[in-house]
Amino acid sequence: MKTKTILMAAGLVLASSAAYAASWTGGDDLPTNPLACDGTAGEVAAKPYDGGVPTNAPDRNGKKITVVDVPKLIGVGYFSATTKGQAEAAKELGNVDVKTDGPTKANIDEQITFIDNYVTSGVDGILFAANDPVAIAPVLKKALAAGINVVGYDANSTPDARQWFVNQAEFNGVAKSLVDNLAKEIGEDSAFAIVTSTFTTPNQARWIAEMAAYAAKCHPKLEFLETVEAQEDNVLSFNQATTLINKHGDKLKGIVGMTSVATPAAAEAVTQSGLCGKVAVVGLATPNAMKPYVEKDCVKSVVLWNPVDLGYAAMYVLRAAADGTLKPGDTSVKAGKLGDLKVVNGSEILLGAPFVFDKSNIGQFDF
Amino acid sequence: MTLSLRSFMRHEAVLGILLVLVLFILAQQSDKFFTTANILNQGRLMTEIGLIALPMTFVIITGGIDLSVGSILGLCAILLGVFWQNLGLPLPAAMALAVCVGALAGLVNGLIITRFKVPPLIATLATLALYRGLAEGISQARSVRGYPEWFFVLGQGEVLGVPTQLWILIVFAIGAAAILGLTTFGRATYAVGANETAARFSGINVDRTKLLIYTASGLVSGIAAVIFVSRVSTTRSDMGTGVELDVITAVVLGGTSIFGGRGTIIGTVVGLILVQALKNGLALSGVKGDGTIVVIGVVLIFAILASNLFSRSGDG
Repeated sequence: MKTKTILMAAGLVLASSAAYAASWTGGDDLPTNPLACDGTAGEVAAKPYDGGVPTNAPDRNGKKITVVDVPKLIGVGYFSATTKGQAEAAKELGNVDVKTDGPTKANIDEQITFIDNYVTSGVDGILFAANDPVAIAPVLKKALAAGINVVGYDANSTPDARQWFVNQAEFNGVAKSLVDNLAKEIGEDSAFAIVTSTFTTPNQARWIAEMAAYAAKCHPKLEFLETVEAQEDNVLSFNQATTLINKHGDKLKGIVGMTSVATPAAAEAVTQSGLCGKVAVVGLATPNAMKPYVEKDCVKSVVLWNPVDLGYAAMYVLRAAADGTLKPGDTSVKAGKLGDLKVVNGSEILLGAPFVFDKSNIGQFDF
Repeated sequence: MTLSLRSFMRHEAVLGILLVLVLFILAQQSDKFFTTANILNQGRLMTEIGLIALPMTFVIITGGIDLSVGSILGLCAILLGVFWQNLGLPLPAAMALAVCVGALAGLVNGLIITRFKVPPLIATLATLALYRGLAEGISQARSVRGYPEWFFVLGQGEVLGVPTQLWILIVFAIGAAAILGLTTFGRATYAVGANETAARFSGINVDRTKLLIYTASGLVSGIAAVIFVSRVSTTRSDMGTGVELDVITAVVLGGTSIFGGRGTIIGTVVGLILVQALKNGLALSGVKGDGTIVVIGVVLIFAILASNLFSRSGDG
């Protein structure tokens, strides 16, 4: 494992100069769209529907449907929360049978195999959170061709491989929230590092790309030291955060965790190194995992949306797509207790603005 | 030799019965299981593991192990993309070159094992990390996408109604079975695994045999990489993570002794089909992924216990 670490480090040193980080677009080569520094909403041009359409889907309007949910991986708090939301929605709808099944590791091949088997077994709907937007596309297209309703949430596929994608928060919105909170805690003239899942995971890559673009625009003095990979692995995340602390010493003023696993692991690493208050931890995480650190004042702000709501919305969108009440060209969709959700970017449904948990409100959430 | 021959025949018989039993039960559980479409599709999904399991059978028969196959797969996949997109080589040349790198990586394994007498477990554990690190370093976290349509024939297309890669697997399996069962090289492989010293004294070039086998292992991992990229239509540096365990499971379930000296290609193929049938059939009959892993573990233990039990009672 040492060799791997050394080689990874060698690769990352190349990738980590501030100039390079600023130009790194997260591996997907998509343009960035940083928001305004003062918080005015960004302008997004309306785009025609660009999702896919299931072939010869039977009339499912109002009928009982069987849905399978294949997240990136199972057994982590985040996806347990989305599963909970889906179950809530299914109960309210009353005509949906939903279950979650997936790999125990965030592995593209296993996820594809799971979906493939469910296509064969003949479900009515598939919910997914992609480990890779392109690798998952062929099997999702196969599902669409078999007349199955396909809706993504959390992590998108290429648009034509699914009908709709429920976007928890726009990438530039999350990026702004993270960078603003970070700058507020460590000051403008400071350096920080990022712990992410893998460089090729679509949303993490997009967030980092948007963060770099937003920071360059609104906080130009912030220095990106480096971004390290830690899968969605607890121990690895802790080790990577500890390595960052040891490697950069006093220079390191903040760590940004890009996953719900990496952020609490980074907070634990900072706590164990006795650097609470000296190294800030900002990131995406679920409140339960962060409560101990927030209560000890080791972590000030945690950015996220409500993953229970995300699963809940995804279930409503899938039902609406199956019923035919959500059609290409529609501009909003009804999602139970969440009200009307907006359609953005052609075929994406926006859950809302990101939410910031802090000491004042984190106790009210339990997921 | 006759004793061990008899005992692995028994293992294959046990495994064969188990497979029939499993297929029968699974077919009862879901009417989608025993359909041509599903069976052919499963063939598609198991090809990469199946291909790598063939040289792995040789490796384990010699008493060795190759843990680096998944990393070689990842490295070759990345290089395929880099050669084609970044260096601008024609795609067929990039494919050939990526496979060559796979062979080279296997050769390096072989050299470390034979020249420096490093135990295969340790040598390939090191190269597992080394090759994966290279893959990640070279890829710079970028996926290569946008391969031309013809390239997907390999991983997503079909020939005469059967997935392309399944034909490749069948051809390779027959080739491997012939080499292992009918040639001097195959006999040398068994001899090296049964008793390396004796093999040396009887004039077998042990080092050359091992070198060839580890090189083949790398080469076939490279071929599997090309098929994998074609199947999932993108290149990522984490491709093939954990593949080595699936491969070793199939080989060991197929009756190849981890201590060397015995094993057959047909056993490996049956082991492979058994694992794939379980994964697929259990999923179709509504068992979740974590349950499936448990069942596969139990079957693995049961198959090995059963064959041990039979061979022991045969001995005594």
